[in-house]
Amino acid sequence: MLGEVLLSRRRTFLGQLVSDAWIGSLLALTAVVFLGLAIYAAGAVYWSGAALSFQSGGAAARLDRFSAFFAALVAVSSFLICWLSIAYLVELRINHGEYYALVLLSTAGMMLLVEAADLLVLFLGLELMSIPIYVLAGFDRRKLRSNESALKYFLVGSFASAVLLYGMALVYGVSGHIDYAGIRAAFPPGNPIGLIGMGLVVVGFAFKVSSVPFHQWTPDVYEGAPTSVTAFMAITVKVAAFAALLRISLAAFGSLIGDLSTLYWALALASVVVGNVMAVIQTNLKRLLAYSSIAHAGYVLIGMAAATPEGYTAVLFYLVAYVFMNLGAFAVLVSLANRGRDCEDLQDLAGLARTRPGLAALLSLFMLSLAGIPGTVGFVGKFLVFKAAVASGLIGLTLVGVLGSLVSVYYYLRVPVVMYMSEPGEASLRQESSTGELLVLAVCAALVLLLGLFPSRAPGFLSSIAALEWARQSVALLF
Amino acid sequence: MDWLDAHLLTIVTFLPLATGLALLAAPRLPAALWQAIGLASTAIAFLLSLRLFAGFDPARSGYQFVEYASWLPGYGIHYFVGIDGMSLLLVLLTTFLQPLVLLAAWRDVERSPRSFVFMNLFLETGMLGAFVSLNLFQFYVFWEVMLVPMYFIIGIWGGPRRVYAAVKLIQFTMFGSLFMLVAILSLYLLHADQFGTQTFDLVRAPAGATPGLLDTIVPLAGQAAWWKTQPWLFAAFGLAFGIKVPIVPFHTWLPDAHVEAPTAGSVILAGVLLKMGTYGFVRFALPLFPVAASEFAPLVFGLALAGILYGALVAMVQQDVKKLVAYSSVAHLGFVMLGIFALNAEGLEGGILQMVNHGLSTGALFMLVGMLYQRRHTREIAAFGGLARPMPVYAALFGVVAMSSIGLPALNGFVGEFLILAGTFLARPWVAVPATFGVVLSAVYLLWMYRRVFFGPCDDPENRSLVDLDLREKAVLVAILIPIVWIGVYPNPFLTRLEASVGDLLHQMELKRDAAEHWTAPSQVAAAEARP
Repeated sequence: MLGEVLLSRRRTFLGQLVSDAWIGSLLALTAVVFLGLAIYAAGAVYWSGAALSFQSGGAAARLDRFSAFFAALVAVSSFLICWLSIAYLVELRINHGEYYALVLLSTAGMMLLVEAADLLVLFLGLELMSIPIYVLAGFDRRKLRSNESALKYFLVGSFASAVLLYGMALVYGVSGHIDYAGIRAAFPPGNPIGLIGMGLVVVGFAFKVSSVPFHQWTPDVYEGAPTSVTAFMAITVKVAAFAALLRISLAAFGSLIGDLSTLYWALALASVVVGNVMAVIQTNLKRLLAYSSIAHAGYVLIGMAAATPEGYTAVLFYLVAYVFMNLGAFAVLVSLANRGRDCEDLQDLAGLARTRPGLAALLSLFMLSLAGIPGTVGFVGKFLVFKAAVASGLIGLTLVGVLGSLVSVYYYLRVPVVMYMSEPGEASLRQESSTGELLVLAVCAALVLLLGLFPSRAPGFLSSIAALEWARQSVALLF
Repeated sequence: MDWLDAHLLTIVTFLPLATGLALLAAPRLPAALWQAIGLASTAIAFLLSLRLFAGFDPARSGYQFVEYASWLPGYGIHYFVGIDGMSLLLVLLTTFLQPLVLLAAWRDVERSPRSFVFMNLFLETGMLGAFVSLNLFQFYVFWEVMLVPMYFIIGIWGGPRRVYAAVKLIQFTMFGSLFMLVAILSLYLLHADQFGTQTFDLVRAPAGATPGLLDTIVPLAGQAAWWKTQPWLFAAFGLAFGIKVPIVPFHTWLPDAHVEAPTAGSVILAGVLLKMGTYGFVRFALPLFPVAASEFAPLVFGLALAGILYGALVAMVQQDVKKLVAYSSVAHLGFVMLGIFALNAEGLEGGILQMVNHGLSTGALFMLVGMLYQRRHTREIAAFGGLARPMPVYAALFGVVAMSSIGLPALNGFVGEFLILAGTFLARPWVAVPATFGVVLSAVYLLWMYRRVFFGPCDDPENRSLVDLDLREKAVLVAILIPIVWIGVYPNPFLTRLEASVGDLLHQMELKRDAAEHWTAPSQVAAAEARP
């Protein structure tokens, strides 16, 4: 993590010197190498089962299995997004080296966020993660929408951070500690100030994961930002934020898990309903994916409302599923961007099955996975979440979730309809994908199918990919 | 050979999909070769299923050709397949129809014939998997997965309103299925409470110690939280299966899907997919929730009767011959539901046999309609007339199939309908009367349609120049006629294989009904003990 920060400093400097496509790729590859090292390190920590605590003058960070799981997931996600961005930035003519620096900085922030064991480190990580993304959202400086997206995200994000900070102040005031263990020990039950503080902390996070009713910024920001940045925001930020939220819910507010569960219940209900219903009318693919990500945040919150180890295992697995199926969908969109023009509109995809059958098939696969069709990882995720919810007795919420899934089938399946069942339009899309994009697509498709059929233990040489087992062991640590 | 026998069900189920995936690895092969390989694969699957039929022991109750492998043991999800008499017949129906469908559609597919073959192979595996699954999670996976190739088949190769029909099919079916998913989870939890183990297996695994979900005692209404009680769980399962059957009023997806689907799609849809619904009732809803089944029987009877009469009446006024056949499916499956919910041996055997019969006769009807459409590119009855003159062989075959659909004795339809009506009469006599009237109605619409299409003057020059069936089409139709006549004249081999399973089912339902009625919920026991 430290290495990443140092390297990104150097890269910014280089980026200002030469803004050449060739250098851009080199920078991207260095970014990728460092992220690869990060993945390796996280994996090593996970397998060794070690728990490293870092404490210095009151600040605390904990690198245990839970953090390692999420650090690896975030690093893998950034790794793949960097690969994705190489050709995309060239197509959109925004191939500045600073992009990779910002991505790395943000990833470093996310690492800190998932390792946080006290409130200040949490805030530090959150800001370190968010500020580069505010810039990244406006990376396409010539487009008005990109600038609007950056400004909107910055304003709303700052507001969210302020709310979070206020909540943290109240929690500190009530408990006298900033480290999670201390808060948990000293948190007075039933104290209204404490409850408000806890609620405000959750609200701050709810902004970050775009849960209803704190979701208003999401469609506009996702639509305006360059697609690879949208992918970064939609996927990696959500994962990191959920990780931190999960950790703080259990470690700091563990004694009030009942109240928290009710709060998550309400957020989940609203997110599933609004996210799915609003997505039905969208014609812009990025807005569609924005609302769909709101709905998926809702499903994750259902798992959190279940408030059992089973529920949290479901949350972790769902986040893994979410990363790969969404990344695949965004990867297809990125692959179709052509000469300064994004592939955004649903009608741009018309007849794609004729012109680029491979991409059409892959996008259909990812849409089916997002919809939750069995055989894909999306179904397994939803199944686990609903199972945990039913086991906790949240049958009403499960029924709402299930109906939301049904609605989502409609808008997800509209994409294959347009691709397979319409004639090709005049939209000029790219005819060839770069190596990076193909790599990402291959990895995501393989994992969507593999984890969809064998989430826990794949047969043969793939038996080391036991994502569900990893999720389960990570959660066990928290209890 | 032993290995083949030991894994026969898996091979039969997955051979089509495996062939499809293998073909995907070589996309440059000529389309005709794809079609030939697809046909060969489905034909081999059929021959292997004949081996299943031959190797099936009618005297033994319980499941045969069982295979078991662990998949997600921590969650009680296993690969568990096996067949009994009921699923044996349906597996045979599926493997029998699929190669005929591919053969019949040989020249029909203009666009992307390779994808068409792949989708059909995928669909066959999905359907077979659903029929042989004994683990509820696995069943659910196959049940939903089946929708994907069906969606593409209708949506890409269908008629003018194909997208609407395909989306309607998926949305409607998934609506029911999702509630069934919640019910499955609820059942799983009940089982875990009662037996301490987590499993989705329907019955005890071979060499397994834990009982399956069938042994769960599902509380009656009022004995536990509402979402754990028999009426609601049965309703959830019943909704999912009822939409598929389809039971009136959930039938509205059927006419659109059938009319807009290409011929091959319609044959498989009517022939096999609709049977999934009725099969689901017999395999899952009835044995798992017997008390609720008997309680809901009057409602289902009413809806089935409504389906029979409404389906027949609406079929009578149709001008599109394909839509007429679609509505006739609603009517015929009303009969099947009647037989099933009579809850006696005659009714159940008749119902299951009629599932097979309907698959054969309505499948054949759709194939015949497709052949006509190929020639004339219209399905309006008014556009035809006197076709017996230019196409005598076609007319004769159409006539036999129509008679089978009506239920003429000596053909398969009669055996099924007779058993169903006998069973219904034993259960509720005065329902059998209007149901029998439904038979008369089916004669009315089919014979009237037949007269308008085939008899009378052949005036239209387009009609007069029609070419009769070629060898391929004749082969397909004669192939279907063989079981149609066989079941009609000598149904014994099929019925004997049903007897043991049906008897088993009824016996189990009896036992579970007693157990449920004598079971007191733990809360009630505690309350009783708390009282002084």
